[in-house]
Amino acid sequence: MSLLEFEDVHQSYGDEEVLRGISFGMDRSDVEVVIGPSGSGKSTMLRCVNRLTDIDSGTIYLDGEPVTTPETDVNDLRRRVGMVFQDFNLFAHRTALGNVTLGLREVLDYSKEEARAEATSQLERVGLADQADSYPAELSGGQKQRVGIARALAMDPELMLFDEPTSALDPELIGEVLRVMRDLAEEGMTMLCVTHEMGFARSAASTISFLDEGRVVERGPPEQLFEAPEHERTGEFLERLTSLHGGQQG
Amino acid sequence: MSAALAPDVVLSAVVGGVDTGVVLQASDWEFVYRNRRFLLLGAGVTVALTLTSVVLGLLAGLPAGIVEVYGTGPVAGAVRRTGVLLRGTPILVILAFTFFVNPVNLGAFEAATLGLGLRSAAYQSQIFRGAIQSVGGGQMEAARSVGMSQYEAIRHVVVPQALRRSIPGFQNEFTIVLKDTSVAFFIGLAELITRGFNLFTQPGQSESVLEVILAVSAVYFVLTVLTNQGLELLGRRFAIPGTGGER
Amino acid sequence: MSAEAAEEPGEAVTTRGTIGVELGRRPLFYAVLAPFWAWLLVRWAYDWVVEPGTNVTAREPFFPTEPFVAAGETLRGVAAGAPAPVGGVLDWLAGGFDFVAFGLEALPQLAAGAWVTVVLTVVSILAGLVLAVPLSVARVYGTRAVRYPALAVTELVRGTPLLAQLFVLYFGLGLTKYVREVPGVGVGVLPDTAVVVGLIGFTVNSAAYQSEYIRSALLSVESGQLTAGRAIGLSKVAAIRHVVLPQGLRFAIPGWSNELIYLIKYSSLASFITVRELFFRAEAIGNETYLFVEVYSVAALFYLALVVSASAFMSYVESRVAIPGLGTTGR
Repeated sequence: MSLLEFEDVHQSYGDEEVLRGISFGMDRSDVEVVIGPSGSGKSTMLRCVNRLTDIDSGTIYLDGEPVTTPETDVNDLRRRVGMVFQDFNLFAHRTALGNVTLGLREVLDYSKEEARAEATSQLERVGLADQADSYPAELSGGQKQRVGIARALAMDPELMLFDEPTSALDPELIGEVLRVMRDLAEEGMTMLCVTHEMGFARSAASTISFLDEGRVVERGPPEQLFEAPEHERTGEFLERLTSLHGGQQG
Repeated sequence: MSAALAPDVVLSAVVGGVDTGVVLQASDWEFVYRNRRFLLLGAGVTVALTLTSVVLGLLAGLPAGIVEVYGTGPVAGAVRRTGVLLRGTPILVILAFTFFVNPVNLGAFEAATLGLGLRSAAYQSQIFRGAIQSVGGGQMEAARSVGMSQYEAIRHVVVPQALRRSIPGFQNEFTIVLKDTSVAFFIGLAELITRGFNLFTQPGQSESVLEVILAVSAVYFVLTVLTNQGLELLGRRFAIPGTGGER
Repeated sequence: MSAEAAEEPGEAVTTRGTIGVELGRRPLFYAVLAPFWAWLLVRWAYDWVVEPGTNVTAREPFFPTEPFVAAGETLRGVAAGAPAPVGGVLDWLAGGFDFVAFGLEALPQLAAGAWVTVVLTVVSILAGLVLAVPLSVARVYGTRAVRYPALAVTELVRGTPLLAQLFVLYFGLGLTKYVREVPGVGVGVLPDTAVVVGLIGFTVNSAAYQSEYIRSALLSVESGQLTAGRAIGLSKVAAIRHVVLPQGLRFAIPGWSNELIYLIKYSSLASFITVRELFFRAEAIGNETYLFVEVYSVAALFYLALVVSASAFMSYVESRVAIPGLGTTGR
């Protein structure tokens, strides 16, 4: 059974239909990379999973349970699904450690000491134990994003969502974030990533989806999409992306 | 009757008379209605005092703001210190000085204008100072580099932009002055709240206290709303695209 | 001008204006303020603990006035025999000594008034904050049913003069006769009836203005912060409480400095509802001695000292809770 399953999901903002019937499933430990031109609905698709955006019709299942019903406990859903944002969204008033402990303390009811220990080990995991007491404003973009990943990981999620995690970063800082993502993938984390890092997609993804105008135009393993795309548009888009974002090896 | 001379007597007379005055009564609203001309005249005085004070504040505050930014030496220092003095003292104390202490014997209206106007100038200078500083040094450099003198640059480049930027702050200051004209009650000026006070302190009218004060408050509220709306229109009228003035 | 500069374009936030004093590099201010507060605290303690029974007007100053009176008289005597320009200067100096002597005489009463002023200010701003936080949260995040009532309350309060509000409470609603029944009112150093009515008025008024400061501060917290809080599973209330408010309240500190200064100055309006605060005491002394220039000058100095102290205190608070990248410097 799939860990995450989209079943004919539609979503619109006002008159504009952003998602026009998305259906796909991914298994535990899959790494799904979603690509597509801007405005194709990639971010919306991600935000529907943890209900930051509500869908109009269709169903999303997490571990076999529908999570788009009115009865769903969204706070519990979001605990189970970690999210990493394009512009980090670190809590500006808390240190790196404080960013990680907030959810542990307030959502998982850890004691102060437990939260501290857990947060420290999560920061170690992303290589930032030495920056635990720094405030977001004192960190580089790459460090901020790694704290963002640690913050999400601390909730022990079943699935991680990455919403263009490297597109707000200076080129020289992208590598350190991709390295953490790659490690996660190797540890067996289930990941749904919107990213244009073709190096990462080629080597770490189990499946790539090409999204255009709210539909999955083509979906398959990286070799298939890169070497022999079924649709002309997929090939064109991948070619453009690779020339722009292919150089980064994380 | 001047409220300033014997507040205790007046107050105890009023408070002693209030027993069941909390209940709003039709007859008391009638009393307010009968005296509508009397109250509206007070509103007229309030509006007039607001205008004279704001204008005085503008005339003194704009130059003061410019001096605070570009001035040097003892003049600028004196302007800054006077500003702190006026902003750090209650308007009540300022009015005490302009009315009771002032060697030139001013009428209540003139003394109130002087006090409220100077205090407003002290605040308006800060609004203009902030606006001028927000225009930024680049504009000044650009003006100087096309050959304008510092005075010309301030006059033609900086101030026109700063004035537009100061409209939200000015709007705020205008309503503060409007509300603070009520403090002229202290020097017995027959503006809105003084007239209200005089009405409900009339013998036998202590039951209408709440009605009178609510009516007076309502007039103030309408005046504040009208002022805000009017100045907002003004702000839109003079807005320049891309300068943050447009709504 | 941080309050003005922080405004979003198109957001006309009603501020009450700073006094624009910048402290920290001015040892002179502290040289004057420190003895002022030392004297004031000793005076209050002495009046409550050592001689609690003495009537305020009968209290003796700590410092002898005779030397100043004598010095003034001597100078005037010398001035009478001196040539014109020198005599004029000496006369002026003698006036200075008279002023100091009078000021010293007035100090105990003004200290008693300053206590009430401080109580009015401090209690109102804190109680006002307690009301202002839910009011502003209701306006930013509330549903229609709570947003509009909150808007109505703040607009009504901000659209009418404080003096009118005090009159409504004191004369219109006659709150004194209810407050009088409350046990503890007016006992010992506890505020008396009129002060409590004043406190109610200032608290409501301040709550409305503070809610406006906090509202604009909350709006200036990036929306991504709330989203990120929700994304780790915090409920909306918890995310506002733990993520948005800690940042928003820091943004609101410059507004509070304004509010504190405003309350110190406008607490003088309480004298119209028989509250014996600083201005009331000054006016009473003036009415008794007819030395209006002198007494209002001393009162003005008192207010300045309180206002400048408040300003310095708030800068200290701001620096204490400052977080890198957050607050006035970060914007």
